[in-house]
Amino acid sequence: MDIAEYIRLVFSDYTLRTITLGTAILGAVTGMLGSFAVLRKQSLLGDAISHAALPGIAIAFLITGAKDSNILLLGALVSGLIGTFWIRGIISKTHLKSDTALGLILSLFFGFGMLLLTFIQKQPNANQAGLDKYLFGQAATLVESDVWMMTIVTGACLLVLLLFWKEFKILLFDADYTKTLGFNTKFIDILITTFIVLAIVLGLQTVGVVLMSAMLLAPAAAARQWTNSLGMMVFLAAIFGALSGVFGTAISATQNNLSTGPVIVIIAGIFVLFSFIFSPSRGLLFKQIRFIKNRRDLQLHKTLAFMFRIAETHENISHPHAIIILNNFQGFTKGTLQQLVRKNYVKLDGNMWSLTEEGFKTATNLYNQQNSNDE
Amino acid sequence: MSNNIAVKVDDLTVAYNYKPVLWDIDLEIPEGVLMAIVGPNGAGKSTLIKSILGILKPIAGSVEIFGMSYAKQRHLVAYVPQKGSVDWDFPTTALDVVMMGTYGSLGWIKRPGQKEKKEALEALEKVGMLAFKNRQISQLSGGQQQRIFLARALVQNASIYFMDEPFQGVDATTEIAIINILKELRKAGKTVIVVHHDLQTVPEYFDWVTFLNVKKIATGPVKDIFNDDNLTKTYGINYKVSIQE
Amino acid sequence: MMSNAQFEIQLIASLVAIACAIPGTFLVLRKMAMISDAISHSILPGIVIGFFITQDLNSPLLILLAALTGILTVVLVEYIQKTGLVKEDTAIGLVFPILFSIGVILIAKNANDVHLDVDAVLLGELAFAPFDRLIISGVDVGPKSLWVIGSILIVTIGLLIAFFKELKISTFDAGLAASLGFSPAIIHYGLMTISSITTVGAFDAVGAILVVALMIAPAATAYLLTNDLKRMLLYAIGFGVFSAISGYWLAHGLDASIAGSITTMLGLVFLLVYLFAPNKGVIAVLYREKQQRTEVSLLTFLLHLKNHSEESERHVNHLNEHINWQKVRSKTVLDLALKNNMIQFDKNIVSLTEKGQLFTTQAIDYIITNEDGKIEHMKDDFFLFRG
Repeated sequence: MDIAEYIRLVFSDYTLRTITLGTAILGAVTGMLGSFAVLRKQSLLGDAISHAALPGIAIAFLITGAKDSNILLLGALVSGLIGTFWIRGIISKTHLKSDTALGLILSLFFGFGMLLLTFIQKQPNANQAGLDKYLFGQAATLVESDVWMMTIVTGACLLVLLLFWKEFKILLFDADYTKTLGFNTKFIDILITTFIVLAIVLGLQTVGVVLMSAMLLAPAAAARQWTNSLGMMVFLAAIFGALSGVFGTAISATQNNLSTGPVIVIIAGIFVLFSFIFSPSRGLLFKQIRFIKNRRDLQLHKTLAFMFRIAETHENISHPHAIIILNNFQGFTKGTLQQLVRKNYVKLDGNMWSLTEEGFKTATNLYNQQNSNDE
Repeated sequence: MSNNIAVKVDDLTVAYNYKPVLWDIDLEIPEGVLMAIVGPNGAGKSTLIKSILGILKPIAGSVEIFGMSYAKQRHLVAYVPQKGSVDWDFPTTALDVVMMGTYGSLGWIKRPGQKEKKEALEALEKVGMLAFKNRQISQLSGGQQQRIFLARALVQNASIYFMDEPFQGVDATTEIAIINILKELRKAGKTVIVVHHDLQTVPEYFDWVTFLNVKKIATGPVKDIFNDDNLTKTYGINYKVSIQE
Repeated sequence: MMSNAQFEIQLIASLVAIACAIPGTFLVLRKMAMISDAISHSILPGIVIGFFITQDLNSPLLILLAALTGILTVVLVEYIQKTGLVKEDTAIGLVFPILFSIGVILIAKNANDVHLDVDAVLLGELAFAPFDRLIISGVDVGPKSLWVIGSILIVTIGLLIAFFKELKISTFDAGLAASLGFSPAIIHYGLMTISSITTVGAFDAVGAILVVALMIAPAATAYLLTNDLKRMLLYAIGFGVFSAISGYWLAHGLDASIAGSITTMLGLVFLLVYLFAPNKGVIAVLYREKQQRTEVSLLTFLLHLKNHSEESERHVNHLNEHINWQKVRSKTVLDLALKNNMIQFDKNIVSLTEKGQLFTTQAIDYIITNEDGKIEHMKDDFFLFRG
């Protein structure tokens, strides 16, 4: 299938449309909530929760024997929440640190989940096929009811975000201060955490346990680079997440053998890489350019200051001097001299240079500025 | 200065991890004073403020703000936390942070509107930061960040201001600007309580002082009790400060 | 009767457990547990590329290549963190899923040439380990994985013994280590290298996730029982080996995944220690908190008596009114003070006994000079009964 055919199919083919819609909505909701996880410095909690959800799925299946994805998700939600609160318990009641607690719950719950899944697979008569899709996710198994479920959760999440926007923002920024204003910080905290767990659980079927954390973090990390407003960050993260979902689905649908989850993660990773490099205010490229430019300006100023001190001793500031005397000064290069000429600070005449009126004025300003800075 | 008691602390004991940090503190702060809380590191200065504000739960004792519990009098109190207690890389602007001061009076769900924005802009002007209102907070200097925090408290339009080390890591200009604002607040009849480190400036900045080292050592007017005796009792070594008249 | 294959599986599992417990102990102590999770995922592309070249999962070259990807992960995380664009934990959470995804896609795109199963990489299949045997000039010398993990273990133990002092100092006091001339960077990357190599060497037997469990869980469990580094290493190894062997038999009984069963055993051991560890277990902590709550209340109460000479402040009823305690607690505190002979009653007015005076004076001295620790000894000296 090539891209043109894919685009045609998205509008005509029911399955493909469902999958595309599902991954887009999922990307949007995880992007939004991921912003909060990133800003709370709980980035790795997502990874731990998604792993901790696995035994819940298996137990829900063992109890009900049903493959109804909503029941399995409920199991995942419960077990994800247990994992989350156990992590907090370990951190607050023992001297184990947060990274150890995260790693413990993550690996122990996952291992237990694996035990259950393999146990289920060995059972006769069980119609267990497809449980392992939760490991790596299988977007292809999304059906309309799943998409509806995602839409409802996203809608609820949007509503809560809009209602409690101010409370979320202030809690994330300054929790102690929030308490003094009379807000119940525990309630706000549990609200955010529950929605994060919910979003993760929703994503398990599509991207799977292992890659879920990237869905949460990547859109948010990319969005952070483009804006200094929380609202804009959440909005951009939702867009980046949705686009990763759509592009990821498109690429994996047009190629053989490519499961959707990893492709979505790679697309999200490309968003991150692009943002890290090309963001105008924070990006590495512009930071480097600014750094080089500053260094060049500094060199220019040094040369100009040196010339200024020579010119100062003469009555006529534009009295020509030999270029050779600049050689005593290390900051001087042919390039800087050319630059000074271009800026019309300096005139060249054969082997001689002379300051222009403008050059002298600029140099005087620089000199005064430097002196006042030293004070 | 009126005769009202702004803050009354009674038998307050706070333990952190079941180690006592504050022991049996009795303290009365009269309305309209500009008070410094001084004491060595680990003396429980921040802890005292935080437990008055209900951030920390004391194991014994009670706190009254103008004769009633803190929960009832919250609207009369503003708080400036230590600058280092928040993540300054948070995606928000100076104006936005100052607006947070209005959140308490707004209550749940309700959003700040034009009125709140106007108040925030006025507070920014008072601390001389109006020009920086749209600046991302990480791009502000330490002194500017502290002024933003002060503006946020000013917006709360409270009667009592608690400040945790507002002069830590700020430049000289900011320090003067802040102390002038605090003195203005006192002139307007407000009570200002400041956790303070620099003993040299106590007589110049404050009119009331509390010496604290786990226990309360002394509290009262600076001119009466800011002496070598109390300093020695608080800091445990022979202490001599030259008090500038 | 245990078959030869069963014995070999348990031997391999135990060796993996030991090989993981050693670097794991240091990872837990250095607060770097999540790095091992990241490494275990991000080695996948290294394994795939190594497999293209060598066509053998147990080849030393593949192990080297994959371990390099592990180090690359650490370097990448540290680089991203240094740019200040995102925080450290976000950097970890971004790098490993992306590298893992690249690995998955590499496998998918070359499905015809690479007979690698992502499931197997993550979950391992210990049951098959005895079938892939190392044959040297026609003689069967045992399973290949046994040799791989055995060699890694020997190197790890060798390094541990050689650099024990350096590891210990740099883990507990990085500043001192640097001033003594042990480069923290060398120890750091050395540890990362060992962790990466162990992860790669073990993944094919037990899978990447179990490697994480085997590194973190035994060390964390041991840390709840001791603060002594040597003991912690020994306990961690003990817990690891115990879980490996009991997990094998659990899997045998349930006919389920060996890796999953070993992790479940690790989880059970951790849960037991987490609840019941003598000093740091949750039950001990809760009990001690309750005891200390009463004892701090008692101290507060005694100090209050010392501070206030006026009778109104020392009236029994005042306890409830002013100090703001619930009735129950003030009764417990009073009883405890009486039992320990710290206070005396005179018509509902409470005052300190001589012993109470002495105790309070000493306690406040210790607290003001920040020597809180000594109060515990004082309690032993003064208290006949604890809270």
